[in-house]
Amino acid sequence: MNIGELILVAIESIKSNKLRSFLTTLGIVIGIAAVIAVVGIGQGGRAMLMQEMEKFGTNMFGIWVNYRDGESFRLDDLQINDITVIKENVPQVKYLAPASYGQMQLRGSKGHKSVQVIGTTADYAQVRNLETVWGRFIRDDDAAVGRRVIVLDERTALKLFGPGNPVGKKVMLMSNSAVVVGVIKSDSSMLGFNSQQIAYLPWSFLSRLNGWEVIHELQGSASSKEEVEAAMNLSKKILERRHHAPNHYYAYSLEQEMESANKVTGIMTLIIGCIAGISLLVGGIGVMNIMLVSVTERTREIGIRMALGARRKDILVQFIIESIVLCLLGGFIGIILGYGGALLVARLAKWPPLVSGWTVLLAVGFSVAVGLFFGIYPANKASKMDPIEALRRD
Amino acid sequence: MIKINNLCKTYSTGAFTVPALKGITLEIASGEFVAITGASGSGKSTMMNLLGLLDRPSKGSYLLDGIDVSHLDDNDYARLRNRKIGFVFQAFNLLPRLTALKNVELSMLYAGTKHEERRKRALEVLTLLGLEDRLHHFPNELSGGQNQRVAIARALINNPAIILADEPTGALDSQTGLEIMSIFQELNRQGTTIVLVTHELNIARHSRRILRMADGLIINDEEIARPLDAHNEIQALREKGGRA
Repeated sequence: MNIGELILVAIESIKSNKLRSFLTTLGIVIGIAAVIAVVGIGQGGRAMLMQEMEKFGTNMFGIWVNYRDGESFRLDDLQINDITVIKENVPQVKYLAPASYGQMQLRGSKGHKSVQVIGTTADYAQVRNLETVWGRFIRDDDAAVGRRVIVLDERTALKLFGPGNPVGKKVMLMSNSAVVVGVIKSDSSMLGFNSQQIAYLPWSFLSRLNGWEVIHELQGSASSKEEVEAAMNLSKKILERRHHAPNHYYAYSLEQEMESANKVTGIMTLIIGCIAGISLLVGGIGVMNIMLVSVTERTREIGIRMALGARRKDILVQFIIESIVLCLLGGFIGIILGYGGALLVARLAKWPPLVSGWTVLLAVGFSVAVGLFFGIYPANKASKMDPIEALRRD
Repeated sequence: MIKINNLCKTYSTGAFTVPALKGITLEIASGEFVAITGASGSGKSTMMNLLGLLDRPSKGSYLLDGIDVSHLDDNDYARLRNRKIGFVFQAFNLLPRLTALKNVELSMLYAGTKHEERRKRALEVLTLLGLEDRLHHFPNELSGGQNQRVAIARALINNPAIILADEPTGALDSQTGLEIMSIFQELNRQGTTIVLVTHELNIARHSRRILRMADGLIINDEEIARPLDAHNEIQALREKGGRA
């Protein structure tokens, strides 16, 4: 009896007991669906995360002050001159901008809003890949001339002035006024970096408003991905030398952040995948259970088949194939359900569903393996039956 | 066809050993129609199991169609059952979830016959037994007599050396039983070797040789000069107006 015939026999037997077959394979359906959905969602999420981070450009790096216990905050740990020196001495650094953070109440012609303000220079737009919708970003000559200008993000502009181009209009801040010179695109990112509303001021203007000069962070980008490391380290060294403060600065790159994010999402997927895998195992035990019942129930059939000339091997293979076909069937249903689930979550979370070929292949392989592994014991039991005993049974 | 020499079978259950066959020597030639009778416990079922290669003797030799089966393994036994023996059981033993046609094809499946060939031969044999309009019926949609005819078709399909029928009329009413016996008689006239196991003497008398068993031995081996003719009996029954 060849394999093709055996598969037909198995399918026939599964078809003739539809409800039980379905219930038997339900564990596998749920297990495979869970694995496919989890891995699909995980991979989609990771791809989304990477895409978001790449928006900033993979060349990006940042430096901030590494305060240790007992050290107090000092205004001059990062100075505007540091930037000039670094840019002159480190060719790997393409752009470098100061960032000074604060919260301010802005008032426009249509409304007011408390937003985060960032005091910076022209380079900042390059470093963060900012897109202008109207007008322009801060220019270097703004600072030089001491212009009182402000750049808003779309959402802030809408809040303060309503729809339309607000360039040229006046914003009141801390009893001063500034002219809107540009509007940049709001970040639709779900990562939360820029999700709050932001206004950009020339660093010198913000310093004047505050009455003190402070730089919280330097943000820069290297001339190429390969030179991020060098740009970061050389900049750090210059700062340490200029301020006579070894280990006082902390540098990070987006590259590093991406790597660790990648690792975290990978581990998460693995953990949830393992839990889903356990449910597959439980499903497999369910299959074995029902196969054992089925073998007992079909004792007479086994006896008849043996009397008609089935070898023990034929009976063994018949039941193993039945188990495998059952699990494969469950696997296919599971893949469809799991893919549907991943698709649904992806649509709700607005990221691309990613169910890779190898995930599906793995799921199919796993179904076959579960069917084989948990089919062997019942099938072996069936093949070891004594034909006389089996024929006598009702 | 069948040559048995000093065949013994003992069953051991724990500390006890129960002899079921105590040394049987027997020859059955090709084309014979033999009935084995005896009370329950006489050893006729054990005999049937040994002849049908469902069980192994404890002692003695058994030559089936010239093949000494004493040293064969399970796989050879299965192959010989498949090629040389056609079983007909009291309870029909058809697979309930297969149609008549598929049930008949089953033996050929294990013989490795190709699909088209299987279908063709199953059709032929079922037609021969008057079941051409019952091909796609399931066993529970057929009468007892029809089921037994499907079972006979299945037994015949691989052209076996011998048909082993174990109480084939036991589950049937007397007229249907006679119909089945008339089929066996017709097959035997055409040259099929048949061994029938029954405890009913009326049924055994349709054969041409009766072996009477008791206590694991053959106590009587009798040629029947004029066996009953099932076909005539059915005619007679009909004339008596019992059933139309």
